[in-house]
Amino acid sequence: MGSRTEFSPQTLSVLAALCGQPSAWQHGYALSRQTGLKSGTLYPILIRLADRGLVEACWQEEPVPGRPRRHLYRLTPDGLASAGAAVAEAEMAKTELASSQARQGARPGRGRGVAAPVVP
Amino acid sequence: MNWLGRAAAAAERGAVHALPAERRDWAEAVWAEAREVPAGWQRLAWRAGGLRLIAKEAQMMRRTGILLLFAAAAGAAAWGAWPGSPVSHGAAVQGGIIITLTLLAGLPLLTRWLLGPPDSRAARWLRAGFYAAILAVMPAQGAVGLFVGAVPRGGINRHTFDVLNGNGGLPVPGSVSGGPDWGGEIGILFVTALYVAVVLALTARRTPVAPATLAIGTGAGLMVGVAMYTLAPLGFNPEYSTRPWLHGSAAEAFVALFWILLVGAPLIAGAIAGRRCYAPDDPGEATAARAWQGFAAGVVSGGVGALFVAVLGTGTTALLLKSAWMRDWLYHGQHLTASAVYGRELYASQDVAAYFILIVGFPIIGLVMGLAGAGLANPVRRLPDSGPSGPPRPPGGPPGLKPTPGGGRLADAGELTAPSRG
Repeated sequence: MGSRTEFSPQTLSVLAALCGQPSAWQHGYALSRQTGLKSGTLYPILIRLADRGLVEACWQEEPVPGRPRRHLYRLTPDGLASAGAAVAEAEMAKTELASSQARQGARPGRGRGVAAPVVP
Repeated sequence: MNWLGRAAAAAERGAVHALPAERRDWAEAVWAEAREVPAGWQRLAWRAGGLRLIAKEAQMMRRTGILLLFAAAAGAAAWGAWPGSPVSHGAAVQGGIIITLTLLAGLPLLTRWLLGPPDSRAARWLRAGFYAAILAVMPAQGAVGLFVGAVPRGGINRHTFDVLNGNGGLPVPGSVSGGPDWGGEIGILFVTALYVAVVLALTARRTPVAPATLAIGTGAGLMVGVAMYTLAPLGFNPEYSTRPWLHGSAAEAFVALFWILLVGAPLIAGAIAGRRCYAPDDPGEATAARAWQGFAAGVVSGGVGALFVAVLGTGTTALLLKSAWMRDWLYHGQHLTASAVYGRELYASQDVAAYFILIVGFPIIGLVMGLAGAGLANPVRRLPDSGPSGPPRPPGGPPGLKPTPGGGRLADAGELTAPSRG
C-alpha cells in the first residue's frame, strides 16, 4: 500500500518545493522546474492548496517592463505546518519501505511505492 | 511553431471567459508565465497545460451547474407537490416529499463511494431521466391527491360521488378519519428508494454493465411505456379500461401489442445485450457476464416503461383536473354533463394510485425476461487473438466480471473497436 498521507505525490512535491523557501514568493515556472510537473498538473494543485488556505497567491507588484505581471505563491503558516509534517511523514515512509525492501532482498523501485517528493 | 503558439495563446485568452471570475486569475497566471518558458515546444506545452487547466475548472463548473439544476428542480417539485390544508393526509405527504428529496440527494454520494461515478453518456442520461421522472411525478401526484382528498362540493358532485361508489364502499374523500396514510407513504418511499438505488448502481463505473446495455434497456422500456400509456392514459385499472381514445378492435389490437411488448421487449433486450457483451474466455464467467447484461437490460426496460407510463399517466390525470383543454382533447366530440365529467375525474384520480402495481410489476417482469433473453442468446463469437478480420483482444486480459482496481467496467464488443467513450 502507498502512503496514507492526505496529499498525492505530486502535491507533496509542490509542498516540498514551497517548503524549501518558506518566506520567499515563487512563481509557477520555477515550481514547475523544481517539481518536474507540467503546467496542467501544477496549477490545479496550487488552486486546491490555495482553496484550502495552505498557499497564498498574489500578483507581482513591480513587473518587468514589457512583460506581463507574474503570479506568485508561498505557503501560509498553516500550509507550512501541514507541508512540513506531510513531507516528513513521506520521507519516513520512504525510508521504512527502503529498509524493508533491503531486508527482504527485493529490488527497489518496483511497484507502486510510497511517494517520493522531489525536495529542492 | 509560432502560429501554433499564437493559436494556443488565443484559445487560452478566449477560454478564460468560460471560467468563473475567481478562477480567471489562475488561467491568466499560466498565460503570463508562458513568457518565461523557453520558446518552442516547451512554451507550447505550457500553454496546452493552461488549456487543460481551464477545461478541468470548466468541468467543475458543469458539476456545479448540475447541482444547481437539481436543487432548482427539486425545489420546484416540492413546491408543486406540497399539500395544502384540505388534504387530510398532509403530514404524511410532506414527510414523503422531504425523505424523497433526501434520498435523491444522498444516494448518489453513497453509490459514488461504493461503486464509483457514472462513466458513460448513457449512464448519465439514464440517471438524469430517472431523476426527472421522479421529480415530475411528485407535483402531478400532489395535484391528484388534492382532488381525491377534497370533500365533494355538494349537490351534483356529492350525488355523483355516492352513485359512482354504489353502496358506499369507498369513504368520502377528505372525510377520512384515519389521519395521515403513513403506510402508503412508506410503501411509496421504499419503492422510490429501490428505484433510485438500482439505477444508480447499474450506472456506476464498477458495476459490470455496458453502456450499450443501458441504451438497449431504455429503448425497450420506452416501447412498453408508450404502448401502456396509449392503453391507460388516465390511471390504471386492471378491471376496466381507462382509455378515452381507443375503441373496439383498435383497443384490442393495442392490448395484444402491449402484452407482446411487455414480455417480448425485455426478452429481446436481454438477448441483444447478452450477445453484444464481450464475454471472457472462461465459460462460467462468460455466462455470468451475459446474465449481468440480460439482468440489467431487463430491469432498466421494466423501470423505464413503468416510470414513463406513471409519469405521463399521472400528469395527464392532473391536467384533466386542472384544464378544460385536456378534457376537450381526451373526450373530443363527446358532450359530457358536469356529473359525467366529475365521474371521469374521480375514476382517473383514484386509478392513478394503481400505477403502483406497474411500478412494482414491470421491473420484475423485465428482470425475469431479460435473464431469459440473455440465456437464450447464442454464445458470443470469440474475438480472434490477431488477424485482419477482427479487433485485437484488449491488453491485460478480458474485462470479465471482476472490476479492475481502477474501477473499469464491462465493455461491450463495439467498444473494443472504438475504445474512446463519451
